[in-house]
Amino acid sequence: MIFLGMNAGMVAVLLGTTVAAVVYLYWLKPPPRRVVVPSTLLWDRLLKEKKRNTFFDRLRWWLSLMLALTIGLSVAAGIGRPELSFLGRDIRNITVVIDNSATMATRTADGFTRWEHAVAHAGQLLRQGSAGGKFLILDTSGQAPPREPDDRRSALEVLAGLTVSLGGEPEFPDLPEVESEVFFVSDGVMVDEAPLEATLVSIFEPAHNVGITAFDIEALPSEPTRYHAFLQIKNASPVAKQVTLRLDGSVSGGVRETLTLQAGETGARFIDLSSFGRGPVRAVVTTDSDAFGADDYAYGFLPIRTQTRVALITQGSLYLENVLADVPRLFLDVMRPAQYNAQVSADVYIFDRFAPPEAPRGPALLFVPPDVEWLTRTLDVVEVPEAPAWNPTHPVLRFVALEDLHIDRAARIAVPALGGSRPQTSAGNPGREPETEVVVGNRSLPLVLVTDQAERIVRVSFALEDSNFPLQPGFPIFLANTLGWLMDEQVALARNPGRVEVPLPMAAVTDLEGRDVVAWPLSDRTVFLADQPGLYTVMGEGDRRLRVAVNLASVERSSVNDSGLAAGEITAAASTVLAGAEPGPDEELWILLLSIALLLVVAEWVTYHKRLTV
Amino acid sequence: MSEKGTLFDEEFLKKLEYLNLVSNQMIPGHLHGEHRAKKKTDSGIEFADYRQYVSGEDTKNVDWRTYLRTDKLILRLFEEEADLPIYIFFDASASMDHGVPVKFDYARKIAAALCYVGLLNQDRVNLVGFADGIAQELSARRGKHKVWHAFRFLDSVEARGMTSMEKAFKGFFSSRRRRGLVVVVSDFLDEEGFSKAFDMLRFFRQDLFAVHVYTTEEAKPDLPDEVLLEDAELGTSQRVRITPALLEAYAGQFEEHCEEVGGYCRRHGWGYLRTTTDVPFEDLILQVFRQGWFLR
Repeated sequence: MIFLGMNAGMVAVLLGTTVAAVVYLYWLKPPPRRVVVPSTLLWDRLLKEKKRNTFFDRLRWWLSLMLALTIGLSVAAGIGRPELSFLGRDIRNITVVIDNSATMATRTADGFTRWEHAVAHAGQLLRQGSAGGKFLILDTSGQAPPREPDDRRSALEVLAGLTVSLGGEPEFPDLPEVESEVFFVSDGVMVDEAPLEATLVSIFEPAHNVGITAFDIEALPSEPTRYHAFLQIKNASPVAKQVTLRLDGSVSGGVRETLTLQAGETGARFIDLSSFGRGPVRAVVTTDSDAFGADDYAYGFLPIRTQTRVALITQGSLYLENVLADVPRLFLDVMRPAQYNAQVSADVYIFDRFAPPEAPRGPALLFVPPDVEWLTRTLDVVEVPEAPAWNPTHPVLRFVALEDLHIDRAARIAVPALGGSRPQTSAGNPGREPETEVVVGNRSLPLVLVTDQAERIVRVSFALEDSNFPLQPGFPIFLANTLGWLMDEQVALARNPGRVEVPLPMAAVTDLEGRDVVAWPLSDRTVFLADQPGLYTVMGEGDRRLRVAVNLASVERSSVNDSGLAAGEITAAASTVLAGAEPGPDEELWILLLSIALLLVVAEWVTYHKRLTV
Repeated sequence: MSEKGTLFDEEFLKKLEYLNLVSNQMIPGHLHGEHRAKKKTDSGIEFADYRQYVSGEDTKNVDWRTYLRTDKLILRLFEEEADLPIYIFFDASASMDHGVPVKFDYARKIAAALCYVGLLNQDRVNLVGFADGIAQELSARRGKHKVWHAFRFLDSVEARGMTSMEKAFKGFFSSRRRRGLVVVVSDFLDEEGFSKAFDMLRFFRQDLFAVHVYTTEEAKPDLPDEVLLEDAELGTSQRVRITPALLEAYAGQFEEHCEEVGGYCRRHGWGYLRTTTDVPFEDLILQVFRQGWFLR
């Protein structure tokens, strides 16, 4: 027998104290009450007849003491949470790896989820181990804390604390270097590789699922102020499905479509969002018997502004003034550098061959600015630089071609250190946004430098008059892209559920309903946990705002039937374990002991009142 | 134990008056004849019976007519009324000083009531308090005016000592006493038993009326699990583990004890009445009257 509630020494002390206390209390019986009776004549006669029962009286005393001792020991032992182990049985150490990847949230035919079945199986496996064995619970998403195998109670507690992780890259965890039977409870969809020594317990069961595998809101190349949504829907069910697709805007707009998808077929839709107002957009797919709900909806943000105030500070630039004048919903204020002061208010500032001594209060586009303190300084001037390289994936250069760009002269400017110059991450990779990136040119001669900070900056190191850039067809698009990027008019950052990092330091996070989400603000970024798909707003210092669309949007996660396991498949080693699924003698005994104690208390009460015990 | 002087208070006397009136109605005319025990003798006025003539007897009451008819000498007997001596023995041992109400007070009230009625009937009433022998005695009195004397006597007696009815009767009846009615008010908890004492009464050809007084607690005691029972008379004690079965057995034993006393009386044509102290004493006295053992 082992004790889970306390160690053996403590249990021994507790039991010993209980025995001592009970025996002491029995000896400590109060003296009999003195009662004066008129005569003991009749009592004497009676007691003479009863003399022969003295032995039984002693027996009753012992019986009563034994009863009280049994009650006390049952309660004391129950506090220690004892557990029986088979005599002569080898100690069995059990490690259970439980798959908690996204597809484990799939509902099964009985109304439960694969995860709930997996937890039940894992619990059974743990209970089948010997009482003195060591137990460990691990998961494929890294939720279980790294630890050494411990007693069963600790393992069951860890198991109870695990949940399905919709995001992340699930993988089979590293096993501890102790001799142990390893069981892997999984549906075999996202984690299909396990060590050979692991006994696989399948909780896979085919299910119906139609899910959104991609959702994106982007501007039309021909008209950057118009947006459309791209949706990809997969039918992962074993049968054809009729799917209803619905797009809802927060303020206005709404689209509803019905499409039929064959088993395993993926369909795509572009949906014009002209009728939608600025704000969150939610896509929902519905079908009958859908067993996996996390991919049935996706979120995005439609970044349309009604009017943008732009302050252009220039000695005179026909190119800029003409192009900006043609941008719809834009209010342009042109002024000379001498007219500019810190009180000038605008959504975006464009400085042409000028820079104020202090940084403006908003995002800025600068063309060959002179050296000021808040900008990196100019090193020298390069005449006729070579045809530059550019990053077409950056938002400011989207749909902009620069093959024919010719520059007469450009300023060589210093580029900040490589601290955050990693390439932009794809959806689902919660990497940090680069702070400064050369989007045209290279690090030795940056021609267009974008800085992603509290107030964004796009710095062009050549004058428009010194190049043919204004004559390029991509120039208006560049300006529109730049204005959009500077005004934070970007679509939401795409992320997967789970741990999300955003490049805003010390930021607060709220969900779509405005509820605060627990976030850990770090020095250069903020981290928060998004367990469910949704649109989150991250508010940084200086009212800097960022939206994060957390969507499952994954073909792999929506393919809930893409498993190499058969339903209910169990390898030979585990089948013997699970055969005895009923709790056996290894079950904790405290309930039994307390029941015995209660029963004995009742028995003692009855026998005492019948004077069978004393 | 009652306080001195309060046992026979105004209220008690009213009850006695009431009892006297009730007794008059229950036994009409008994006051005219000044209720007497009737004795069959050769003198007297009222014919009572015949009996065989024994040689040497006075021949004045021989029924000669019968002799002529049957050739047998038959004597005519007449009833002679005589005053009846009443000996009221009340138990004054320590065992009586128990219970609520106290048995001893209850016994004294019974004795007082019977004494009162007896004196009013012109009987000769003796009051004897007994314990281990005769404790105190009020010799034969007659007439209503002796009532207060009797009450004072009863009030002065204290309950103490052991019980020995045999010694008491022996001491009392060893001096020459007339035949009469012996009333014994006691709990009959006598270590030596009651039968020898009763046998003695039979020997002295006395009539007995036994009033068995006990408390409810005595008949059905309610005791804790472990008790040290102390005998009020002997002062001895013993530890007893009480069980419901034991209590039940005790109740049976007590009943058996009462039956023993009652059975003895019934077997010998004596009166026996048992009562707990809960019963109002006037009810008990009425019951005594109804049974007819005291007033005939």
